[in-house]
Amino acid sequence: MKLRKIGASILAMAMATSMLAGCGETAAETTTDTQATEQTSETAEPAADTASTTEEAAATTEAKNIEATEITFWHAMNGNLESVLSEITDEFNNSNEYGIKVTLVNQGAYGDLQTKLQASAAADALPDLAQAYNNWLTPYLDKIVKLDDFVANDFDNWDDIVSAYRDECSEFGFIHAVPYNKSTYVLFYNKTMLDELGIAVPETWADVEAAAKTVMDSKNIAFIGYDDLAGAVEASLHQNGSDYVDATGAKFNDDKGLETFTYLSGLYNNGYARLVGEDGYFSNVLSNQQIASYVGSSAGVSYIKAEGWDLGVAPLPGNVQKAANMAGTNIVMFSQDSNKQLAAWEYLKYITSTDAVTKWAVGTGYLPIRQSSYETADYKAYMEENVCAAACYAQAKDFFFSPTFDASNDIRSTVPSTVESLVYDKADAQTWLDTVVGAINAQY
Amino acid sequence: MDKKSFKGYLYLLPSMIIMFCFTIYPLVRAIIMSFLGNYSIINGSYSSIGIENYKALFADPDFAMSLKNTTIYVICVVPASIFLSLIIAVLINSCKKTKALFQTIYFLPYVTSVIAIGIVWRWMFNSNYGLINFMLGLVGISPIQWLNLPQYAMPALIIFAIWKSMAFNILIFLAGLQTIPEDLYRAARIDSTPKLRVFTRITVPQLAPMIVYSSVIGMIGAFKVYNEVFSLFQGKAGPANKAMTIVYYIYDKFYNSYKYGVAAAGSVVLFVIILIFTRIQLRVTGGNKK
Amino acid sequence: MTSKRNIANVIGVVLKFTVLILGSIFTVLPFIWMISSSLKTPSELVQVPPSLFPAVPQWGNYKEAWAAAPFARYFINTLIVTLCTTCGVLVTTVLSAFAFSRLNFPGKKTVFSLFLATLMIPGEMLIITNYETIIKLKWIDSYKAMIIPWVSSAFYIYLLTRFFMQVPESLYLAAKVDKCSDFKYMIKIMVPMNKQAIFSIAILNIISSWNAFLWPLLVTNSQEMRVLSNGLVRFQTEAGSSTELIMAASCMLVMPIIIIYLFLRKYIIEGVTRSGLKG
Repeated sequence: MKLRKIGASILAMAMATSMLAGCGETAAETTTDTQATEQTSETAEPAADTASTTEEAAATTEAKNIEATEITFWHAMNGNLESVLSEITDEFNNSNEYGIKVTLVNQGAYGDLQTKLQASAAADALPDLAQAYNNWLTPYLDKIVKLDDFVANDFDNWDDIVSAYRDECSEFGFIHAVPYNKSTYVLFYNKTMLDELGIAVPETWADVEAAAKTVMDSKNIAFIGYDDLAGAVEASLHQNGSDYVDATGAKFNDDKGLETFTYLSGLYNNGYARLVGEDGYFSNVLSNQQIASYVGSSAGVSYIKAEGWDLGVAPLPGNVQKAANMAGTNIVMFSQDSNKQLAAWEYLKYITSTDAVTKWAVGTGYLPIRQSSYETADYKAYMEENVCAAACYAQAKDFFFSPTFDASNDIRSTVPSTVESLVYDKADAQTWLDTVVGAINAQY
Repeated sequence: MDKKSFKGYLYLLPSMIIMFCFTIYPLVRAIIMSFLGNYSIINGSYSSIGIENYKALFADPDFAMSLKNTTIYVICVVPASIFLSLIIAVLINSCKKTKALFQTIYFLPYVTSVIAIGIVWRWMFNSNYGLINFMLGLVGISPIQWLNLPQYAMPALIIFAIWKSMAFNILIFLAGLQTIPEDLYRAARIDSTPKLRVFTRITVPQLAPMIVYSSVIGMIGAFKVYNEVFSLFQGKAGPANKAMTIVYYIYDKFYNSYKYGVAAAGSVVLFVIILIFTRIQLRVTGGNKK
Repeated sequence: MTSKRNIANVIGVVLKFTVLILGSIFTVLPFIWMISSSLKTPSELVQVPPSLFPAVPQWGNYKEAWAAAPFARYFINTLIVTLCTTCGVLVTTVLSAFAFSRLNFPGKKTVFSLFLATLMIPGEMLIITNYETIIKLKWIDSYKAMIIPWVSSAFYIYLLTRFFMQVPESLYLAAKVDKCSDFKYMIKIMVPMNKQAIFSIAILNIISSWNAFLWPLLVTNSQEMRVLSNGLVRFQTEAGSSTELIMAASCMLVMPIIIIYLFLRKYIIEGVTRSGLKG
């Protein structure tokens, strides 16, 4: 009797599962089908292959003749960022005269997007457009559309783009991307705490050390932390007038490098700086008032919960000079079909126009990529009430970007754990210098 | 016979296809890949054929650390888990009414997602608000920076892993205890042998095959530890990578650094280690059958 | 004399239950702590000394966590992957076990040993090249990628073959005399006779697919395709310091399986014991 019951329930379950499985299968089929059709339409046109070898040929201003087409754009914008991007994209889709439709595809976080692009490059299934950091691109640089002719013939004032962004987007010897969601590292601080202790916002390394001592003496907590340790090392070297790395190896194995690490090791060994540890991100630590300030991306400001205290944002402190990391991605084009290239370019022109950039920047907190956007009344009003935007703008002249070469991705992933070890070992400056130089040079 | 032969393979076809595509082919491919220098998944190019990847692997301090950590993990987790499980199993077995209840409770960790419960352990290990430091405080031990300091990364991981792995061992031992002839215990009772002696002289020797079996299974599983590390340290390998394990290393090399050849070489090393333990297991269980 | 022994017995019993109960607490504490933390307010979470239970259970935390990330989508994805994988496993396992236990064909022993040999290969070793295969097949970010590599298991085939072997051969021969086809015999006789074993295999597979983490993480990336375990990890990063929401989300991943476990524990425990002892 009991056995029969079990049998019946197995049957019922089997039926249910097979039904559900059926649904699942269909769903999977449909998604792949759409993907397949997209891919065929991408390669369907016989002209596409011949055109792909001469991408530049497509970029001509005379008699623009773009057929209605669909463009896929892979991005890693989530939450509010995604809704602003969708809004701008919808505007483009509804207003363009050619019937171009841009489809946004959310690919998760940056890390997800990076691996998806890598995988798609291997499968020859890259999208028309994608956000990307330069150091993701080295393995499949040959699959990127060179944009030089598009920019030369059909772009509203490339010189209006912030110069550091222009440099970053042409570091491979050609224009490989247009900048889009750009941010920078800034100093987030607990304004209430600093005011209470009578500390001015630090502008130099010496200020940081003095402020940290005061905070340590009265509150017994660390003053500063760095979300990105590799970025912190790089920025500190630049702030001390030193170079970081190039395609041949580490460039700071000298007195300037030693000075830099004297500063950094001193911060950690005195307890003035701390690692993030179990808290994951310094935004959590600052929110809980367990640290007085931290250096992080301006794009992360929304993660800080200033409850019972006021948030302040300042440019990064400098030493012999100021220097601030740039962060955020650019948009890269992969379309091999000349019509799609033209269509994608129309979209890129639209979203990088002064108006759209201003809207994007005000809506998301990303920095305008155009000088002219900074001048608009809208953005000026935004900076009035937004301390983070004002701080970013104040250091716009100090931006630097990390050069990209074969080993740069590995260096980025090695330096943080190397620095962490040095902090735990309470190593001296010379050890810091030797270890970091060694770890970097081992990646070539 | 011919017709039959065709038929047998027809039944096997689905699993053979899957097995060929996702077990045998990738195994061969991984071994080949491990000998290709600078293999690129994007265009299938490579710069050399040889043992370059293995050289790079054994020169990498991170791999050395991952081997060391994994070995420490295996040496700590497996015996501790077996020892505790054995005691619990014997105690549960001696209960009459509450046996099923205890069995249900102790088996709970086995069915639970390592990722989800690892996140809970992460919270329990929190240095300021964690339950573990609070309880240690009750007995006068000052808070430990479990997840913040490299020297506590492995202990935290090991405690979590023991908790997780006991469930399976207890179950196997309970099953094993059923097979011990009651006569042996009856004889001991007549001789009024002390309980501890009964345990060491009867229970443990009788359970020996199970203990060896659990140890080998435990070791094989422990050599492949990954999810525990990922969840406890929120996607990292602990402070300063001090809780890096072999599988974590392999995964990191191919998924984040795109060093497919080195990762493949690492996985071949893992394969060899596992193979050695599987041979031991087969010998043990094979010997048992005889 | 007897009273002395009685006292010793009582002490023994007390000691035994103390150990067992302490062990039980150690075992269930993470679950209790997860549930209790998921119902606390942020200030209760950081309260020292911590309270075991929240003053007022904050059921709203679940609502908030559920809304903060597309958990409904993750849930459906996990369900689809789990059910499809399990159905696939059952079909391939029954077919193969039947072939190995009842049918005669040349090379049977060799193929069976080959199947057994694959048990020695750690799945972790295969992820790199399987990932490459999935890329080349353009399956990245699809259900196929999460399901198809897992619809066959040499271990379950081995397990079920041993069960099928125990069914008396005479039944098969009798069926042959009755002109019952092999397939019909398998469906009508073998499967029902071993339904408990098949059921155990199904449940074990459901548990392992539900809890799968690394493979789905590798082969999916878009939010639409994520399964619960990956979604939970993502949510943990996004929710930052909102521990109560993270705990609520963890509960959502753990609870369905615990409920299945509490109802079907007999089959699960038997299944694991059997597979454990025969592996």
